[in-house]
Amino acid sequence: MSLWRGLLASLWTTLRQLRRRDTLEYPEQEPKLGERWRGRPVLTHDPDGEERCVACELCSAVCPTQCIALEGADRPDGRRFAQSFRINFARCIYCGLCEEACPTLAIQLSPEYAFAKTERGDFVYHKEALLIEGTGKHPEYRYYAHAGVRTQALPKPVHCDPRSNLP
Amino acid sequence: MCDEGGQCHLQNMTVASGHAYREYEAEKRRYQSQELGPLIRQEMNRCITCYRCVRFYQDLAGGEDFGVFGSRDRVFFGRLQDGPLESPLAGNLAEVCPTGVFTDKVYHQDYLRPWDLEESTGICPHCSLGCNTRPGAARGRLRRVRQRPHAEINPYFLCDRGRYGFRYVAAENRPRQAQAGGRSQDFDGVLDRLAARLAEGRTAFLGSPREDLDSNLALFALARVLDAPFAAFFEPWEEAKAREILALPRPPAPASIPGYEEILVIGAVERVAPTLPLFLREAQRRGAAISLLRCLPSAFATLAVEDHLLPPADLLDAAWDWLGRRHHRPFLLLIDTESVGPELLHLLRREIGTWPDGSGILPVYRQANLPGASFYAVDGHASRLRAALAGNDCDHLLALGQDPQEMDLPWWRRHGDIDLSLIDHRHSLSWDGAWLTLPCAALSERPGLYYNGEGRLQAAAAAYTPAREERRWRPELGPFPLAAGGALREEVLPSPMALCRALAERLELSERWQERLRFYRDFLLRAAPRPGDPGVFLPEELRARFRLHSAPPPRATDQGWSVCRFSHYGEEELADSARELHSLAPARAAWIAPGQQDARHIRLRAADGTSRTLPLRALPGMAAEVLAIPRAELVFLGLRPGDGVEPEWLD
Repeated sequence: MSLWRGLLASLWTTLRQLRRRDTLEYPEQEPKLGERWRGRPVLTHDPDGEERCVACELCSAVCPTQCIALEGADRPDGRRFAQSFRINFARCIYCGLCEEACPTLAIQLSPEYAFAKTERGDFVYHKEALLIEGTGKHPEYRYYAHAGVRTQALPKPVHCDPRSNLP
Repeated sequence: MCDEGGQCHLQNMTVASGHAYREYEAEKRRYQSQELGPLIRQEMNRCITCYRCVRFYQDLAGGEDFGVFGSRDRVFFGRLQDGPLESPLAGNLAEVCPTGVFTDKVYHQDYLRPWDLEESTGICPHCSLGCNTRPGAARGRLRRVRQRPHAEINPYFLCDRGRYGFRYVAAENRPRQAQAGGRSQDFDGVLDRLAARLAEGRTAFLGSPREDLDSNLALFALARVLDAPFAAFFEPWEEAKAREILALPRPPAPASIPGYEEILVIGAVERVAPTLPLFLREAQRRGAAISLLRCLPSAFATLAVEDHLLPPADLLDAAWDWLGRRHHRPFLLLIDTESVGPELLHLLRREIGTWPDGSGILPVYRQANLPGASFYAVDGHASRLRAALAGNDCDHLLALGQDPQEMDLPWWRRHGDIDLSLIDHRHSLSWDGAWLTLPCAALSERPGLYYNGEGRLQAAAAAYTPAREERRWRPELGPFPLAAGGALREEVLPSPMALCRALAERLELSERWQERLRFYRDFLLRAAPRPGDPGVFLPEELRARFRLHSAPPPRATDQGWSVCRFSHYGEEELADSARELHSLAPARAAWIAPGQQDARHIRLRAADGTSRTLPLRALPGMAAEVLAIPRAELVFLGLRPGDGVEPEWLD
């Protein structure tokens, strides 16, 4: 008796799956990915439209495959920016450590996962290709509102005038 | 964005002790930082008030334009006003500062995090001390030079010439194209023409005391197999000085200076070798009696027990007087060989036997490899070379790493028909007018051996391979992938050694040239040191053969105005092409002691009638009736330090 029940139950379970389909017809149908899906890294802007990256090179330091290379330069107002920024996606393993290391939330992993190439050299993305319009996952974050020297000229310090005790 | 990140003491300690998050709620103090010139950047808000900078700058280096101001929580380290730091050791502030208050401005222009730099073992090529350096390069560019401690030469610090002079490799006018008659040509074409010219057998060869040993020996061997005249100097006077330097018994190491109780300083040693003041100050702190004989202002004037301001011609007599006193303890003579002639070195050297044991002479000059370059070429080679060029034997001079027109212009004005070919890595005076020019790799782009002023042979490794970053990888650029996908296109210039080899091959003298080169090298080097070794010394018996010479004739001097060489601490043929360092050099002028003349300009005539007009500036602390002029003007007029001149004073 229980044997029949087991057989029928499992058959019923099998038949029940006929209407559900996990397989997607991929190019026509896109999967819904979670917020934190780790796909291709991008560089973002802050809400004021400034580039977030200050070329601190922590992402390239933490990258386990060393696929990030950048060089910084100074803007006329004293703030640093990335003069060149390269990621070699032929090496990238989408581990997200660069995103974790970034103090300004400039580099973020986007949900983009499909960017096959026919030439290996095309996997090297330069800054123009990495930088997106907009703020990515963190619409409100301004690094310079929380830390660092404000880039606008500071008022003359009143607190620390070393000459205040000179005759 | 702090440049100190990755080499920050404060960061290391903070992370090591585990309180990496800040809990300070009150308002932080804020400072206005200063502009401290082209070499050092200040960001006072990072200061932890450790006083290292001021202790180094004032107490060790003797700088007077930097100090500490304020009190309590307002302590400020800096100058009274914005302006470039005046000490020739200012670059060490970036190294002694444990945080990022003082950072290296020159490194900042090409900044990459220090963990990305590949550091090698180098030797400073800018003066005769041969300090050990640690050049850091990445992605085909040299980005910074720091000091590498050597217990006997530079235990702690490096001068600004050594730290920032490396920028000559990135000079805008650094030659990269072989030229024939002023037009660019490929290397092979120029080498073919040069080899054809050498085969005619009417070529003289000129080595260089600032090039490394192997380059000089390669050229020397080539001259030998072609049976052509070779010299390491274009000036017989300079060559006589080199011979006297080689003939000295082994000089004491710079770091042993503080061990002496009596020190005689002749000339402006701190302008020639800017780290020497550190050792002299240390000696003075230990109670040494320092005596100064000088014609230019000196920073030691306040430290010395006696201080004589003299015209250059009287230095010898004054040194003789000093030696004539009774000295029971070992003493040291520090001689700036650029302001004295060979006769002074010769006469002092002859006396060494009568001095107390342990006494010595330490000569300083600006060439990094003078003993190595001139070892085989100090027996009148320069005179023979000149005679051959002036006569009918030679009509072509091949010079390596030295511009003969920068050594003696009046001679070249008389012999304008000689063709000049240059192998060099800087755009020298006669580069554009030369017959053939071959650019070669800079000293930091190739390994090299250097004999410093003590006769210590040290090896430098190649610091980097120059390369340009290509945006896109292409299969012909090499295997893929470079880590981050960029591709480096190497831009390697041949070393002088490779150029000499190519010439020997074209002349079909390769085997004989190899054999000669090996012979000279084995004779000079019993054991070649490896980069990072403390160095090996020139054997004493090899020095002995230079002691057989008789005294060079002293130069006639007439009393009246005499010239001496005015130099800036950053001045050296290579370092002159380092833009940031050179921007600190004073404008071209003639300098005299204040209160002697009201004229604004001065006109000096050379023996052949050409004249030079220079603005006249007063320099406090100079000897009376002495005219200090830069080396380029001395060469243009054909003058040497100590020569009498008859200046015309103009308004």
